Amino acid sequence: MNQILFGVIATLGVLAALGTVLARNLVHAALFLVAFFFLVACQFVMLEAEFLAAVQVLVYIGAVAIILMFGIMLTRNIQGDDTTTVSKAGFISGGLAAAGLLAVLVFGILDDEGRTGRAGWRDVTTRPAVYPVAARASAEQTKAVNNMGFVVGRELLTRYLIPFEVAGVLLTAALVGAIALAVQDGPSTDDPAERAKKAAEHTAAAETEPQLTSA
Amino acid sequence: MHDIPLTWFLIFASACFVIGLLGVLVRRNAIAVLMAIEIMLNAANINIIAFWRYSVPGPEESPVSGPMLAIFVITIAAAEVAVGIGLILLCYRRRASADVDQYDSLSG
Amino acid sequence: MNVATDWALPLVWAQQSELDSIPWLKWIIVLAVVFFGIFPGIVAYMVWGERKVAGRFQDRIGPNRVGPFGLLQPIADAIKLITKEDIVPRTADQWVHLLAPVMILVSAFLVLPVIPFGLGLAAVNPPSGLIYLIAVSSISALGIFLAGWSSRNKYSLLGAMRAVAQLVSYEVPQVMSVIPVILWTGSLSMVAIFDRQVEYGWFIFSPPGLLAFILLTIANIAEVNRTPFDLPEAESEIIAGYHTEYSGMRFGLFFLAEYLSVFAVSCLGTAVFLGGGTLPWPFTGEPVVTLGSGQGLLSLILVNLPLIGIFMAKVGLYVFLMFWIRCTLPRLRVDQLMSFAWKVMVPLSIINVFIAALWYEFVFRPGRPNYLLGWGVTAPLVLISVIVVLSIYKAQMKADLAASPTSRRRIATAN
Repeated sequence: MNQILFGVIATLGVLAALGTVLARNLVHAALFLVAFFFLVACQFVMLEAEFLAAVQVLVYIGAVAIILMFGIMLTRNIQGDDTTTVSKAGFISGGLAAAGLLAVLVFGILDDEGRTGRAGWRDVTTRPAVYPVAARASAEQTKAVNNMGFVVGRELLTRYLIPFEVAGVLLTAALVGAIALAVQDGPSTDDPAERAKKAAEHTAAAETEPQLTSA
Repeated sequence: MHDIPLTWFLIFASACFVIGLLGVLVRRNAIAVLMAIEIMLNAANINIIAFWRYSVPGPEESPVSGPMLAIFVITIAAAEVAVGIGLILLCYRRRASADVDQYDSLSG
Repeated sequence: MNVATDWALPLVWAQQSELDSIPWLKWIIVLAVVFFGIFPGIVAYMVWGERKVAGRFQDRIGPNRVGPFGLLQPIADAIKLITKEDIVPRTADQWVHLLAPVMILVSAFLVLPVIPFGLGLAAVNPPSGLIYLIAVSSISALGIFLAGWSSRNKYSLLGAMRAVAQLVSYEVPQVMSVIPVILWTGSLSMVAIFDRQVEYGWFIFSPPGLLAFILLTIANIAEVNRTPFDLPEAESEIIAGYHTEYSGMRFGLFFLAEYLSVFAVSCLGTAVFLGGGTLPWPFTGEPVVTLGSGQGLLSLILVNLPLIGIFMAKVGLYVFLMFWIRCTLPRLRVDQLMSFAWKVMVPLSIINVFIAALWYEFVFRPGRPNYLLGWGVTAPLVLISVIVVLSIYKAQMKADLAASPTSRRRIATAN
């Protein structure tokens, strides 16, 4: 049952990922990406990490996908039909590189010997049971699986305090950076004449040799 | 009821990663490239969680080391998309194109 | 007091079927009866209720032609919607156009399984239920965006852009305002939140809880796009916003989803701050404490009937509050909408988390709860922070107005 479920989710996941990469319409690609995010959340549930699945849906579908959609809308024509045609040669070489990497990865995964004293990856066929009785797993791990939100919260403020703070600083920096990038040059104005002048300046600047450094 | 072997998750994750790589290599639209990068990050997350769930943490280790790493990856990915879209919009405004092949000012 | 913290609690009468080891049957019953029968029925009569309430507010009678008091009006509306022609614009993106309303509806439905309507009446009880709830309700933004995009209509697109900006902005205070509850409960499970309120009384009965409840209510109204936050479908400006190009039952799906999410956010507010189906302060924990001690099916039914009744009464009041606000307040401007979210709601909800921590120290910290000291310390803090944030906001608005060109100033002063 579990294996069948995994097979279904994995197949759909790979198809969604392929759709994201190959769809010509960018909004369709983003839609496939949303499906992929959702299927990854399903995989998290298969791995008994439903807290992460909820976070995945919240952050990726609720925020990242929306930002991407906005990005698609604000660039190029608004219907997102802009197709980025790929040359055949580029596609073949890219495909070859990807297929080669896949072959290497699959070979590596199936051929893993395992570190000393540990089983190779291909021999790990069952996860440590966490219920009803702790077989291989400790009580800590049982709690981590059954109430991950609680354990994650506790660990974030004890063991992972510094990474947590650094992540906070990073997010603040990203926030400030994104605003600094997106804001128009100079204070915005409500005066239509001035706005038209600005727009003219802007197109003039765009027509001359564009310089990325003057941001 | 048979449990799922660890390698299945790993192979699924590597397949997704490779598809993401393909996207980065063949797509020319900057936003499509960003989407492909998101696929790769997600594939890495599946890997992390699979390894976490299929192993027993040592007595000194955190019981949620895997999810913690995944949460940080999600955080970074969110920040990356926000800044990435900002950058793409800025480039688009200056070049009137979201094609990564045209952002070649630095090539001699 | 540890009531019903079991995993995956089914409906009472469906619990029997699990003994016969047919879990599928249970889920089919739950899905068929509750999700396709009861909830759409509630939605249908909510629409009727809104039309009646709005009628009264506007000095009209409201629907009164079909059946007694117009009670059959929702059925007539449904038949009308189903039999109408389903028109899809030729240039629309067919698949996405079809998918968008379904996505919004699914998002509205997915919120409901984790709501604890009574003892053991949450369809599922995941340990991170609250995050799950917020996560699935954020999917609707995507559906709205796709609806507007796929229609190939400028008004639809404008509405969708407005909707997404609004939903994303108001999601932040919505999430931040439930953080005090998570802090006080020490868990994300909706059932654990219910249990905690059975033990300590409703969370709204504390200064930070009251502020959080008000913030959550405002954010909820914005999340379901109702007046005064109905810019995405502002009729006088952009026809009907993102569902301009929808007709027949596809429009019906939007309609269903909108009212279903009104119901869902009301359930959220009730379950998180209003103590679910329990009675207020002097009867803390009733009727669970007196009726819920026994085991077995009969006891469960006995305790659940009053619980569901009270829960539904609270949800009804909450929904009425939303209708009342809708009938009373005019629509906001886009810049007012955004600045209100980012300059008032977000700072207040962040400050509120700290005040909630103080309340935790006084009341929930193991030991004897000291309500008097808690009120004495946190109430002035809440009051001061609200006044300070609002006055800064007002001063800023005034400065903005003074700096803006004359045309807008003239309009503003004329109003």
